[in-house]
Amino acid sequence: MSAQAIKIAIMALGGQGGGVLADWLVKAGERAGFIAQSTSVPGVAQRTGATIYYVELFAKSVADEKGAPPILALMPAPGDVDLVIAAEMMEAGRALMRGFVSKRTTLIASTHRVFSIGEKIAMSDGRQGAHAVRAEVEKAAGRTVWFDMEKAGEEAGAAISAVLLGAIAGAGAMPVERGVFEDVIREGGRAVDKNLKGFAAGYEAARERAPAPVAGLVAPAPGLDAPVPGRSAPGTDAAPAVRPLLARLEEFPGLVRPVAREGVKRAVDFQDIRYGDLYLDRLQEIVRTDQGCGGEARGFELSKAAAKYLALAMAYDDVIRVADLKTRASRFARFRADVRAAPDQIVRVWEFMHPRLEEACDLLPPVMARALVKSPAARKAFDAVLGKRRRVATTNLSGFMMLSALSALRPLRRSGMRYETEQARIESWLRMIGDEAPRDYALACAIASLQRLIKGYSDTHARGLSSFRAIIDALDAAKATPSPAQTLVRLRDAALRDEEGAALRAELSKLNQPPKAA
Amino acid sequence: MAERSFAREVERLRIGDGEVFRGEGILAVTKALLQSGVSYVGGYQGAPISHLMDVLSDGQEILGELGVHFEASASEAAAAAMLAASVNYPLRGAVTWKSTVGTNVASDALSQLASSGVTGGALIILGEDYGEGSSIMQERSHAFAMKSQMWLLDPRPNLASIVDAVEKGFELSEASKTPVFLELRIRACHVYGSFVAKDNIRAEFGLSDAMEKPTREYSRVVLPPSNFAHEAEKIEDRWPKAVDFIRKHRLNEFLGGDRGEVGIIVQGGLYNTLNRAMELAGLSNAFGDTDIPIYCLNVTYPLIDDEVKGFCLDKKAVLLVEEGQPEYIEQAVESILRKADIQTKVIGKHVLPRAGEYTSGVILDGLTKFFAQYAPAHALCAPPESAGAPGFAVTDLAAAVPQRPAGFCTGCPERPVFSAMKQVEKDIGKFHVSCDIGCHLFSILPPFDIGNTTMGYGLGWAGASAFGAKAKQRTVSMMGDGGFWHNGLTSGVGNAVFNKNDNVLIVIDNGYSAATGGQDILSSRASNKTKSTNNPIARAVRGIGVEWIEEVHTYDIARMKRVLKDAMTTAKKGPKVIIAQAECMLNRQRREKPLRDKAIREGKRVVRARYGVDPDTCTGDHSCIRISGCPSLTIRDNPDPLREDPVAYVNNDCVGCGVCGENAHSAVLCPSFYRAELVYNPGAVDRFFARCRAAVIGFFQRGADARRARFAFGDGE
Repeated sequence: MSAQAIKIAIMALGGQGGGVLADWLVKAGERAGFIAQSTSVPGVAQRTGATIYYVELFAKSVADEKGAPPILALMPAPGDVDLVIAAEMMEAGRALMRGFVSKRTTLIASTHRVFSIGEKIAMSDGRQGAHAVRAEVEKAAGRTVWFDMEKAGEEAGAAISAVLLGAIAGAGAMPVERGVFEDVIREGGRAVDKNLKGFAAGYEAARERAPAPVAGLVAPAPGLDAPVPGRSAPGTDAAPAVRPLLARLEEFPGLVRPVAREGVKRAVDFQDIRYGDLYLDRLQEIVRTDQGCGGEARGFELSKAAAKYLALAMAYDDVIRVADLKTRASRFARFRADVRAAPDQIVRVWEFMHPRLEEACDLLPPVMARALVKSPAARKAFDAVLGKRRRVATTNLSGFMMLSALSALRPLRRSGMRYETEQARIESWLRMIGDEAPRDYALACAIASLQRLIKGYSDTHARGLSSFRAIIDALDAAKATPSPAQTLVRLRDAALRDEEGAALRAELSKLNQPPKAA
Repeated sequence: MAERSFAREVERLRIGDGEVFRGEGILAVTKALLQSGVSYVGGYQGAPISHLMDVLSDGQEILGELGVHFEASASEAAAAAMLAASVNYPLRGAVTWKSTVGTNVASDALSQLASSGVTGGALIILGEDYGEGSSIMQERSHAFAMKSQMWLLDPRPNLASIVDAVEKGFELSEASKTPVFLELRIRACHVYGSFVAKDNIRAEFGLSDAMEKPTREYSRVVLPPSNFAHEAEKIEDRWPKAVDFIRKHRLNEFLGGDRGEVGIIVQGGLYNTLNRAMELAGLSNAFGDTDIPIYCLNVTYPLIDDEVKGFCLDKKAVLLVEEGQPEYIEQAVESILRKADIQTKVIGKHVLPRAGEYTSGVILDGLTKFFAQYAPAHALCAPPESAGAPGFAVTDLAAAVPQRPAGFCTGCPERPVFSAMKQVEKDIGKFHVSCDIGCHLFSILPPFDIGNTTMGYGLGWAGASAFGAKAKQRTVSMMGDGGFWHNGLTSGVGNAVFNKNDNVLIVIDNGYSAATGGQDILSSRASNKTKSTNNPIARAVRGIGVEWIEEVHTYDIARMKRVLKDAMTTAKKGPKVIIAQAECMLNRQRREKPLRDKAIREGKRVVRARYGVDPDTCTGDHSCIRISGCPSLTIRDNPDPLREDPVAYVNNDCVGCGVCGENAHSAVLCPSFYRAELVYNPGAVDRFFARCRAAVIGFFQRGADARRARFAFGDGE
């Protein structure tokens, strides 16, 4: 037997049960004839931070023969860890960064992501690329076992620590029999059945060791570039009313068709068939321009971007839209699934609504709406009667009927102020794209992508809109730079960097100042 | 009740002579105290010795049987002062705290104690919060030992050595009439291992003996002329006695080979790490068998001159493995050798880093440099290949692997306080925020980024006391209930009243000393068999003279905003105190969840709330996360093929605290959040109404679905 300890590092996040897992490993090790030592650094890291638990196992027979206890270390040394357990995908990367993963290492890691606060607070998509991290880890490690242990745990109703223990056993990563691990779980006396189930799930998954799909990564939403078979084909199940729209879609280039199809569907869902036609009219214009300036060779980048952003711009989020989405049967099914309700369980749901005068005015004819928005008296009256924070119980009759009634106002939408302003903005935005495309194709694409800034409600919406306008206003200045498209994209990304708009202001002021002579 | 219960483990404290004790380092320390016949113990919780306080608290029955008095002291100063019992009487006592911060707080009493000297053994167990996992400024406790002339034990980090250090520490203390520090690093406190136990001892001379037959000796009191006598006594009497004891009982160890031109001097607490580094270099094995002579300092203060000289005399150079700075031991060893005209080179910080934790990787690096220069004849193995080696994209990795700063737990009642503060800042402009110590200090991290300074436990308001000028904006100070009772009531609130402060204090009253592991304090709402709880903070604040006091339930963000805005803008002069109340969610869940699960199992009607986000109305701006940071409020892929940005998502850890919904309301964010109530074991009335609602709602939904079907694209949606 080797006169070296087996060294095990557990990389976990606070609350993931890393301590429980370390205890199980110690107890299992002791039963299997090892002297066990474990350490940890609890403390503030326990509160959502990343922590390392460290276990060393030393063959008792060797120590007995020597007649002396081994000297075990309290922390892992770089390049000297036999088994690394990562309870989250990026934590495997952290183990590599700390030098714990080497050719002698078996790495057992869950592929699920627990996003860090930095990734979550980004105003757009702040998620880090876990694919690259996994690739680096795989290059460095001797052997890797990956699968989504969070999912496995959830299915078994067990903590992720139980699945990890199962995976250690299943991968044969410790010289301990399966039954010993299971005895240790039983001895713990807590949620024994569920943990044994989780253990078994981990055990089986690790034994198969099939290269598992990577879950929860920055996987793009269902790809529109690679159309799902049958999706872009004119739906044979399509309702007669939409068939003319689908027929029109056939006139679009094949590359544009999938996203245009989603787009027109959104427009119809938002308003009606006529609105779908309006969407296609507008898009057709862009496609024609695109074709006119060699878009085919560029994969119709402009048309694809416009098809996507035009749909989002046209299906703006107003009260009618929200009320519609909130009352759908499909939404009821979804929230039941999201809160993990049992099949027949009663679930009651409340919405957090905060109606403002602006939203009410959105639905009124423009002349009236403009007058009301400016009138302090009207605001006061509105705030007194309607403008309260409301919890609307959508699962109660009163709440449901109120929202249903709101969504039934859809036919009035076209006569409202919001409709007028949105369409005007869309028209001028499309004009700008159309004008620019023949001169600078990339710039036109960048202008199209500015729509990404406009999202959300109330302050968030106002902020996005003002960033959008500020960048449009700076268009001429951007054109004077060596690469206008890149400049515009930089401005767009700056607008998404902070809520106060400081980054955008800084970029804009840089743009307006002529570069100093060297 | 504390976060972690040791009720099961403490039973092991009863085991007797020859039995094997298995457990954590701090449990071993407790057992060692009982084996040493201690009469009283006290301390203040804080990582890494929080669990020691928890073990003592959970073990009070056993302590009682042995006549040991346990105090959860009000502060480290109170704990240190407790050791006064050992000045006049042959009573052994031990106290514990987090160091160096706790030692700072305690140092007035410690100086007094060290001057008076002790009759009974006095042991101070320091949880040295240095290196990875530490939450405090990086300093050494070593300086306190030197300045007050108290002895500092730094045993090898295995349970047998730690237990031995406790027992010998008491003897050393008594032999030299000096209080003794026992330093335990973070991992040593939490190390799981085993040792062979002895019987517990009940002290022959107990506390009641001292109380009933008190004796006094004026020469023990620190006042002229005794204070001058004490200083001389330290040098002339206590020091030589300590040196004799340490030598005679071989507290320091000579390990490894006994000859060679190089050797290593190491702090006992680092010995295991050193041996691992030597193993990796091929200089030692798993049992510590090595040819290199090692002088292991289980006592790092005082140094034993003769031992140092003897060890170094025949060597060309010694490597000194001493963690932290300044390098007190290195300076002392240099001084001892040079005065004795011994020319051995002392190599410490030349090859080892001046600052930071000494991990085995760091020590291996130092060893390699040391041997290359002073003993090139020793062929060292190459360090194991790892990511540090060329060929690995570690730098790219550092950019890709996200940082994980500590944050508020799911459902934490402190989160809404800062959500409100962030919203109030948008209304009235930024203000200076003086922070304190406790979970609430996480406000300085993303997503809140609120806070300017932290000056110490309970010193939040004192830390803003300079801002007494006439200004258009007031300052806000933070304080937790733990810090409030530790000293904030006097240093913060009393100070503000006396100096006619016009600023604002927010006391976070979550019912526990939460950051240190949820120990009870004076204002805890729970009843505690051995402690007096339910003493409201508001009453104390009013009693000390504050007139403007508001108590706010933290989850009521709208009210919190109103009250804070009012405090910041009211024309009323004088100190303003907002007491933000709601129970620590970690503790609440620990208490309530098992009860709820049990009720559900028993078929009782239970309603559980949790929150959710509708992905089709969420636009992926994440404003809601920027004013919350709740771990259960996260993101997931946007299911909408037209949108790129991930949508917000409430995962299954949600405890239904409601902060995200309140935020969506008060910050007028978006209509995506919903509150769901799940009814378990519904009654007949529940079922009847649910059926009625489902029938009507279903009717309308079918109608709407039919309308949409007329415009269906045939994608099966």
